[in-house]
Amino acid sequence: MPDAQHPKVEIAAPETWVDRYGDYLYGYAMSRLRNPDLAADCVQDTFMAGIKAFERFDGSRDIKFWLRGIMRNKIVDQIRKSIKEKKVDIDTEDEAILESFWYKYTGIATTNPDPWQFNPRKAYDNTEFWVVFETCIDQVKEPARQAFVLRVLEDQTTEEVCKAMDISANYLWVLLHRARAQLKIALEASWTGKDVK
Amino acid sequence: MFTCKQISKVLSNEDYQKLSLMSRFLLKLHVKLCLFCGKYNRQVMESHEMCRCYKEHEDNLAPVRSRMDELQKDQLKALLSSHSSKVEESK
Repeated sequence: MPDAQHPKVEIAAPETWVDRYGDYLYGYAMSRLRNPDLAADCVQDTFMAGIKAFERFDGSRDIKFWLRGIMRNKIVDQIRKSIKEKKVDIDTEDEAILESFWYKYTGIATTNPDPWQFNPRKAYDNTEFWVVFETCIDQVKEPARQAFVLRVLEDQTTEEVCKAMDISANYLWVLLHRARAQLKIALEASWTGKDVK
Repeated sequence: MFTCKQISKVLSNEDYQKLSLMSRFLLKLHVKLCLFCGKYNRQVMESHEMCRCYKEHEDNLAPVRSRMDELQKDQLKALLSSHSSKVEESK
């Protein structure tokens, strides 16, 4: 029964955060950053920011998700920083893709990709599929993966991602297109045949 | 949202997850039935749908994700306890 005066869910003291949420947050950060050091830094930054803002925590939701909310910002910052240090280079191959795709894309996209080798929707209830999905995201090459993480997984707007990566909207579209294509290839390589059970 | 061009635009904006149920339904209907943009956009749509489901299932994956190094954990614990006591003192 929740206390009427303190309608709080149980609030874990900061000392216990590492044991309770360390692995969860670290796993989350790893799935986005793919780098153990950066992920550990992110968790540390999150806990630090959490302690500072702890007074403002109102207990309206689980502290795990509150901390995760803080960490999502840290992850976006981290990706932005790593992009700044290692500039995204747009090579000629990319230019060519951009030109050809946009030519096709001005009206109706007419590219004709191969159909899926398995029915992905059948696998959605299978946790194992999402584990595979995660490893497949890891196989997408930078900077397409970073664009994908920022735009699709972390819900940044197109403008925010373009600004963070210092690229045009057209190029972002190419990156996301490429991320999707690579993801599909990786998924087909590792999942085809597994869903027939 | 009825023309192929609009459909392509919505899908390329990657705002699929923010669409209302009704527009998502209209979009799906168009892509399923359309001979012209269907082949391509169907896959884009499926990919969006997949990412949406991934985010829903994501929390179930926590147990199989990589774990933090024990040494790092201990360092972090020490750091946390020193900081939280500082915050207490400053009150």
